[in-house]
Amino acid sequence: MTVTTPATSLDADVAVTLDGVEQALDNHRLPVGIFNDEAVFKAEMDQIFGTCWVFVAHESELPKAGDFVQRRIGVDPVIVTRDGNGGVNVLSNYCRHRGTQVCQTDAGNSRFFKCPYHGWTYSNNGDLVGTPNKHGAYADNLDSKEWALYRAPRVESRFGFIFASLAAEGPTLDEYLGGAGWMLQMMVGLHPDGMRVAGPPERYKLKSNWKTGAENFAGDTYHVGTLHYSNEEIGLAPGLKSNVEVTRSYDFGNGHYTIGFPFVELAGPFAAFWGYDPETAAKFDLSGLDETQRHMVENEPPIVGTIFPNLSFLRSPVPVRVGEMEMAVITTFRQWQPVGPGEMELWNWQFVWTFQDEQQALDAYVAGQFTFGSAGTFEVDDTVAWEGAPKAAKSPWMRRQEMEFSFGQAHMSPVNREPDPTYTGPGIKRPTGFGEHNQISFYRQWVKTLRQGAQATRVQEG
Amino acid sequence: MAITEASPAATAPVDTQLLASVNQFLALEAKLLDEGREEEWLDLLDEELLYVVPIRLATENRADEIQRGAFRIRDTKYHVRMRLQRLATGNAYSEIPPSRTMRLVGSVLVQRTADADVVDVTSALLVYRQRGIDDHFDLIPCRRNDTLRLTAEGPRLLTREVVLTEVGLATPNLGIFL
Repeated sequence: MTVTTPATSLDADVAVTLDGVEQALDNHRLPVGIFNDEAVFKAEMDQIFGTCWVFVAHESELPKAGDFVQRRIGVDPVIVTRDGNGGVNVLSNYCRHRGTQVCQTDAGNSRFFKCPYHGWTYSNNGDLVGTPNKHGAYADNLDSKEWALYRAPRVESRFGFIFASLAAEGPTLDEYLGGAGWMLQMMVGLHPDGMRVAGPPERYKLKSNWKTGAENFAGDTYHVGTLHYSNEEIGLAPGLKSNVEVTRSYDFGNGHYTIGFPFVELAGPFAAFWGYDPETAAKFDLSGLDETQRHMVENEPPIVGTIFPNLSFLRSPVPVRVGEMEMAVITTFRQWQPVGPGEMELWNWQFVWTFQDEQQALDAYVAGQFTFGSAGTFEVDDTVAWEGAPKAAKSPWMRRQEMEFSFGQAHMSPVNREPDPTYTGPGIKRPTGFGEHNQISFYRQWVKTLRQGAQATRVQEG
Repeated sequence: MAITEASPAATAPVDTQLLASVNQFLALEAKLLDEGREEEWLDLLDEELLYVVPIRLATENRADEIQRGAFRIRDTKYHVRMRLQRLATGNAYSEIPPSRTMRLVGSVLVQRTADADVVDVTSALLVYRQRGIDDHFDLIPCRRNDTLRLTAEGPRLLTREVVLTEVGLATPNLGIFL
């Protein structure tokens, strides 16, 4: 099968836009137009979603041979399957004969996908295995290899997280993730049985641009004390206004970020390991971690982050009942699925440790959805705050005004934002959440990737 | 109390007084929520309340659509109280101003259960929602499988399972009660 790596030639208008974005970012500003622009969106689909490693599913969603889920890479529908040999396949959901979608469901178990139109039938590894009226229609002249479903040429998984790249060539997943792999290990690699999804993803449509979610989870600790303050007022989360200064900002390069939170420094030793109860924390196996990781998971672990382009996560302790001591530590992974220039779908999964008992898993799932889900007490406010940017991008006045967003904390914040010279992990660690550095870095990576595809990935040495 | 599978269509006659009382209850709930009287609505919820919005998928078999182990919301009365407290802070941005809603309840079926004080009720609900300064509106269609406890003070909502018609929500959040 021939696989074509998307072309790296950019539409001339988009190239001009990117030059403008780059200059604005030098001044810690960002032109609003990129949040609702047809040409930019099209370029994103080709250059970013057509080349980067994009998360498609977790292995716990495909435990048995024949299991499949329907997912997206950018706006492209893909079927993620577990075949009879245990392999994972990421297949285009368009029949090669006339383009009818061979899979019309979100999930299921099947060895075959039969197109409802003329009956071309594919096995769950994509091979064309049947055509009706074969003798009259094709005899032996149809090359079943050539007419298989298109497959993502590269599929790999880390800690059960399955990523696919639609580019045949480019950085390996390990090269692409770089320090984000190191971070993922702290988040989900602390037990040999790993984590599992608590349920299928819930989906909700927002009139916002996918980049806004990715940017927010990359490091926007500044919004928490305002937009989410109501959660502090009802006792669900302490210190939302004051914590921005003491959060740690990590930039791993390649568009991957996390925020670390100094639980032990602020709350004491009982808050070690994100506040997991001691019995749970005792089950964590830290032997595979380096010294920096061990220090981090115990004292100031990652609480929120983004893996370029559109996968983000959050882990936080949430009281099972306000006023009582018991904490449920929630873990959500989410994808900001582009739908159109000013529209996205939020796909939200809750995760639990495979070793957790039924009650612990349920507590984490309930608390996770209660705070970060379509009815989440934090999330509901994000869903509407993020609607402004695409509207502003289409505003005649704002266009004439050449409106730019401010990322000026990068030069205005008096707080020490120098990279921590004592930090020994990958990338850069800054001692504060002030500065908007991760967000600026995210948009720089976005510019680079639009220009060069995933070749914009820098392979880290050592 | 665990939420059970929706009962088969209630074809056995139900006394008109019971049906009237259930209809009045559902209509009152809808009116209180449409008028922003959530604290009064809270009084209609049983202390043992379980309010669940399961995740729905497009699956080949109808029986697999509703993922009863997976949910968007799984609230006890404690969670509902917390939500109301948050809305009352004046800082729950997504509901400032409150969504303007109209809940249309219909197709009400009532069925007695083995417990004389508990009835199964299913109803269809269509919520029209216009949020903030939106120039558009959202429709949230769903079917609700409830159990009501019949008390001396009138019916109280014991369990509610909200089966959304959509698999992916067209409204940006479920910041309102269904």
